[in-house]
Amino acid sequence: MAEEFLILNIVIWIGLYLIVALSLNIEFGFGGIPNFGRAFAVLMGAIAVGGIVNRILMLTLGVSGQIIDASGVVKTAMNDMIAQNPLIGISLLIGGLLLAAVIGAITGAAFILPSAKLSEDYLAITLLAISEVMFLVSYYHPDIVGGYYGVKVPNVLNFIPGEQRLFVFAAIIIFIAILVYLLVNRMLSSPYGRLLKAMRENEEVVKAYGKDIMKLRIKTVAVGSGIAALAGALYSMFSVNVIATNFSRVEWTFYPFLMVLLGGLGNTRGVVVGVSSFVIARIFLITYKFEIVEFLGLPFDPVWLEYILFGFVMLLILIYRPEGLIREKPILTDPIKKILKKRKSELGDSG
Amino acid sequence: MSVLEGAIIYSNLLVLLAIGLTMTYITTAVPNFAQGSFAVFGSYIAITLLRLLGVHPYLSIPVAFVLGGGLGVVIYTGVLRPLINRGAQIVILMIATLAVDLILLGLIGAYSDYLGMITKKSAKKFIFTPYDFPVLNLTGIFFVSILVIVLILFGLYLLLYKTKFGVAMRASMENPSLAEIMGVNVENTRLASWILSGALAAVAGVLLPFRQEIVPMTGGIIIVSIFASSIVGGLGSIFGALLGGYIVGISESFVTFQLSGIFGPGILVYSRVISLVVLVITLILAPKGLVSIKWRRIKWLKSFLS
Repeated sequence: MAEEFLILNIVIWIGLYLIVALSLNIEFGFGGIPNFGRAFAVLMGAIAVGGIVNRILMLTLGVSGQIIDASGVVKTAMNDMIAQNPLIGISLLIGGLLLAAVIGAITGAAFILPSAKLSEDYLAITLLAISEVMFLVSYYHPDIVGGYYGVKVPNVLNFIPGEQRLFVFAAIIIFIAILVYLLVNRMLSSPYGRLLKAMRENEEVVKAYGKDIMKLRIKTVAVGSGIAALAGALYSMFSVNVIATNFSRVEWTFYPFLMVLLGGLGNTRGVVVGVSSFVIARIFLITYKFEIVEFLGLPFDPVWLEYILFGFVMLLILIYRPEGLIREKPILTDPIKKILKKRKSELGDSG
Repeated sequence: MSVLEGAIIYSNLLVLLAIGLTMTYITTAVPNFAQGSFAVFGSYIAITLLRLLGVHPYLSIPVAFVLGGGLGVVIYTGVLRPLINRGAQIVILMIATLAVDLILLGLIGAYSDYLGMITKKSAKKFIFTPYDFPVLNLTGIFFVSILVIVLILFGLYLLLYKTKFGVAMRASMENPSLAEIMGVNVENTRLASWILSGALAAVAGVLLPFRQEIVPMTGGIIIVSIFASSIVGGLGSIFGALLGGYIVGISESFVTFQLSGIFGPGILVYSRVISLVVLVITLILAPKGLVSIKWRRIKWLKSFLS
């Protein structure tokens, strides 16, 4: 049984991190926008579920009071209704995800606005600062998503009994991750993907071709943040609560960067490899942390070991394998394929 | 501790941190995201000396200065130099400093557990205010922080303007390739800037617990204020760091306090929002910071002056 849950855990986290890492790959891997504030969009997804959906439910059910207590009342009422009518649960799930994507995209676009004209170092600093401050505000201020007390979220799959719920939820997360993967893949092999790569390589050239860098950046971060917010919403609905501390910079900005760089910048297949290897390593580390600490005789909390280890892994990747596990390949459009084919046949003729 | 007094103490410490950040930015062109953890490293040196040897935190400033410099050497030669030699882009260097920040957080956290275990007294959270002494109805930290900042600014002035090394350093800050042609070893000046940055941050870290509680995570929280200070003044100028440190420090504690009179004490937790707002306004109006503004060129000022 223990192995089953280990695998379940791995599957859920691969799904969640795949969504976030794919969104980061659009912005950073393709567009070259160093979004050091990825955690912000994930937090916005959680706020959409824990803060906004909860308030809408409070209004419709006529529950008043502080969000921390009211969310508990809402949760109990909704769970009963969902148990009787699965349709309510499913529409809550889909509605929550859509809302998260919209909120994520809007806040993402607003979030890059003050810095859309800046060079990459200033951009990274500003994005990190905004994300960090929003994290602190939602942690200290109980009126947004309950601060350090957190808020409750209705169990959208309450009609499925017991442990089966976990397996169904894992399937839903993986399904959405695959949808995102297909969507992102499709989007990035369109002219838009090539435009993003051009922006990453040389902004001046893109400008010379009449493209507005600022608009392109805003659009890209809006799309990326909308996708990343899905992960925040899914995570909140899965764990049936929202606590701001779960949306830290390490977990939702640093680790996604690590996964993208591990897999290889600017290619979606690389992201899948990066996410899978990272998540498997991390879940094993978390599951067997006490054994590891005992085995090595370490006099401290294993969480620190995780930080030290993954920090070093990042440095090793940057120093020894900056291209990642899978090297980036040029996008082959039909005309380029034709040219390559022609060249090949010419070479064949002469040789 | 009165509000103004607290604001000045905090600003002095921010200036120390911002000067270090600015120096390494000028020489290596990378914003150091680990600057906050550099400070917490200093705080833990002070708490170690206090708990194990009974040394008063003020007396551990020289030790922290030296060890902080050592940390700067390790980070520069171990992480940044190999990356720069490989021609890594700025983004990669920034991610590397984020990784350094995470490693430092892990090491400091692990060390805090260890220290708590051997001294039988938790080191996960501490504050030095009980060890401070009053001077002329003001807190000791007020005078100590001013003394430290005056000494360090004077020392920096001597180093940068009165020694040959300082001239070389300033030259390579302004134009690295030209300085290299003139025979300046840019490598040395980069290393020197990291040593100074680490040393100043560690000193600020020793003094910080006199004003606020320190936890291993503190570095990640104060980094926003440090960046705001450096950027408001201008990331390219050491004088800008001095100016920005005071603007951000004073507005963070003083403005928040004034606002709390209007909106109630709930607003006090938003002090970082103030530094973020100051940062964003600066980036919109003068992206290169206050020192980059050519005041004489501004029209309304001109008409006002003539």
